[in-house]
Amino acid sequence: MTTYLVKRLIQGMVVLVLVSTVCFAMFRFTGDPVLMLAGKYATQEEREQVRIAYGLDRPVYVQYATFLKGVMHGNFGKSYVSQIDALDMILERFPATFELAFTALFISFILGVGLGVVVSINPNGFFSRTIMAGSLFGISIPTFLIGILLVMFFSVYLDLLPSFGRGDTVQIGFWRTGLLTVSGLKHILLPALTLSGYQLAVLIRLTRAGMRETLSEEYIKTAWAKGLSPAKVILKHALRNVMIPVVTIAGLSFGELIAFSIVTETIFQWPGMGNLLLTSIFETDQPIIVTYIMLAACIILTINILVDLLYALLNPRIRYE
Amino acid sequence: MKHRTLKTLAVLAAIVLPTSAMAKADLVIATDAPPKSMNPHAYSSDANLSYMSNFFDGLLQRKAPEGKLSPALAVKWQRVDALTWKFELRKGVKYSNGNDFNAADVKFTFERMKNPKYSKLLNIANSIASIETPDDYTVIFKTKKPVPWFAETMHQNFIVDKESSVNRDDGDYNTHPIGTGAYKLVEWVKGSYIRMEANENYWEGAPKYKTVEIRPITEESTRFAALAGKQVDIVNGVPVTLFDRVKSMKHIEVISQAARRAIYMGIGNKPNTPFADIRVRKAIAHAINEKEIIEKIMRGQATMANQIPDVPTVGYDPSIKRYDYDPVLARNLLAEAGYSDGFEITVAGPNDRYINDEKICEAVAKYLAKIGLKVKLDVKPKSIFFDELTGKKHSFYLIGWFDGSFDFGRSAEKLLHTPDKDKGMGTYNGAEYSNPDIDARIIASSSIIDRGEREKALQKINRMSVEDVAWIPLHYQQDIFAVVKGKGIKFTPRSDRWIVVKEIK
Repeated sequence: MTTYLVKRLIQGMVVLVLVSTVCFAMFRFTGDPVLMLAGKYATQEEREQVRIAYGLDRPVYVQYATFLKGVMHGNFGKSYVSQIDALDMILERFPATFELAFTALFISFILGVGLGVVVSINPNGFFSRTIMAGSLFGISIPTFLIGILLVMFFSVYLDLLPSFGRGDTVQIGFWRTGLLTVSGLKHILLPALTLSGYQLAVLIRLTRAGMRETLSEEYIKTAWAKGLSPAKVILKHALRNVMIPVVTIAGLSFGELIAFSIVTETIFQWPGMGNLLLTSIFETDQPIIVTYIMLAACIILTINILVDLLYALLNPRIRYE
Repeated sequence: MKHRTLKTLAVLAAIVLPTSAMAKADLVIATDAPPKSMNPHAYSSDANLSYMSNFFDGLLQRKAPEGKLSPALAVKWQRVDALTWKFELRKGVKYSNGNDFNAADVKFTFERMKNPKYSKLLNIANSIASIETPDDYTVIFKTKKPVPWFAETMHQNFIVDKESSVNRDDGDYNTHPIGTGAYKLVEWVKGSYIRMEANENYWEGAPKYKTVEIRPITEESTRFAALAGKQVDIVNGVPVTLFDRVKSMKHIEVISQAARRAIYMGIGNKPNTPFADIRVRKAIAHAINEKEIIEKIMRGQATMANQIPDVPTVGYDPSIKRYDYDPVLARNLLAEAGYSDGFEITVAGPNDRYINDEKICEAVAKYLAKIGLKVKLDVKPKSIFFDELTGKKHSFYLIGWFDGSFDFGRSAEKLLHTPDKDKGMGTYNGAEYSNPDIDARIIASSSIIDRGEREKALQKINRMSVEDVAWIPLHYQQDIFAVVKGKGIKFTPRSDRWIVVKEIK
């Protein structure tokens, strides 16, 4: 087990270094930050001054080496635009994104598993067919469209829920949360629903498939024959066995929800990391972009390792050598 | 056990909730661009300067709507000779931290502005040779070369407090503004909102709205939804595509006014290219159907431009006419120049900078194809396009321009003068248009002190540039604002798009 973990960690480091290399190589094609920084009235000479002040006059590999050296000391550099530490800036936004992703996961998990179970019990009913058709819709429709439709319906026509922002927040230690205020909860509903859309659909289909297979097993038939209540048979005996793949998928995609909530955050002007990333791309603020991508890679790698370990715990037959 | 946890949570929520329920701001404004920094010199973009104008004052200011230069931290100013500018400062002004404002702050500010680490307004700061402060309320600037628009930029060079700025941490300096402005920053949650509070002791009198929130909403449809859902009071950048729908909303007043930004096609006259022949340049100008572009692409929300400077700019000449749409004449001109079979031409431009920029480029390409040219289209994100433009990679491109100084002289230096790195001229003259006569006139105009004479000289340059087809003006963009009705908000948009909250009554 330990050997396996160490191996995975080393693999992870290699991936991170590769990711950073690709990022740096890519920046040669994303435009010159000096143009944006120096402003439109700057002369060629003034641009050069700015270029030197930001160390952009040095060759790319030197810049990359400096960056790597900084990273070893936990220093990801400063944002070109605001001159604030890049990692701090992203971490400041982390709570907002985490809460959004968490709420989205919560919604999709409860609704997905719940609806999946209901659908599997009576697969040919009208309700089940509607749900399944809906889930197909959820998988194929792009996130931004779901978001805009939700905004149009709930904010513009019904005037029920706010269409943008995070609402009132409360500071608890280093964490700034919107989940403890009424306005914060109202604000999170639409973006969380939008973000959960795809995953919700996947979880419904996954739970349904698993349940239908399990429900036809001999031991379930035995359970029915013993005269157990439907709740016990379905929830305790059947659902429990279906949960392993469901939890795996939900866990794996949590990392993605955090790292790639960019579209949703933009539509709802959610003050999270994704929003920051997009703004930074427009501003060619390269330190923020690199740090973000590396952080995203880090989160996804960590969650992957954790899920693999959890897997082993949930199912003792799986062994990592 | 479970009950206890629930109870604790409930008690915790009860304690936390009431304190967090912040009062809604008196005025909520949605804008289309977020602030990048709270350092007033970090950017020369109008989006950022607009935010800063609420926390800081310049020596001078411009008031809505026509943007006339008027006193702010300076009460009087004059151009003593070609190189010398004298400002008399206002007495009794205080910063938001209680410090007094005086001439030492002005000197400190402009010296700090020369440092690329703190400032991107290098252009004006570097033009200063020396700053003298004979007493606490007089400042004398000497410039290295004549800068006729020196005072014209003083509304956007915001003055910072010397005492508290010298030893401040950069991060703090870039996030917590200390200025003499009409508002003080309460909280800036990046990407979300800026909350500010009125400065009751403001030298011009306390502003009407005590607490104000500015919310940058970059996504067009979200901005529209916020407006439709009555979550904001004032919105700038109403998308052209949604204009009719916004106009039909009963609770909203729409204000559409000509913006200062002119959209034009840059074109050069490099020797040994078809463009060297003025008949070819004229043919291209005649081929573009600007009326159709305004009607179909801009949906009427643009004004035809005959020249680059707009009406309030020194150098605007009402007598200038544009080359009319006339494809037959265009073909004849091409044939005369010996290009009856056309030649290859690339239409370049950004696709995320100006309103409908990509569509306008497509239309121009279509018009040029109609007169027999072999057209290629090359539109790309602004961060790459402008890089290529200053690298002189394009010979025919779409670009927009407006000059914060209200003086055509500076624009001409950047856009029209032959590119010259040493003199710092022609930075945005991407197609490398060159006319020695115009160059000489641009240089000569900068030493003219008399405003009337200066205007004449600049008008002449302007006329020559259009006659020689140094560029092809298309249109001035229109700015569209929306204001919620029934709240008694009196909002007059400014032509520079700044939202100066103290001006909202």
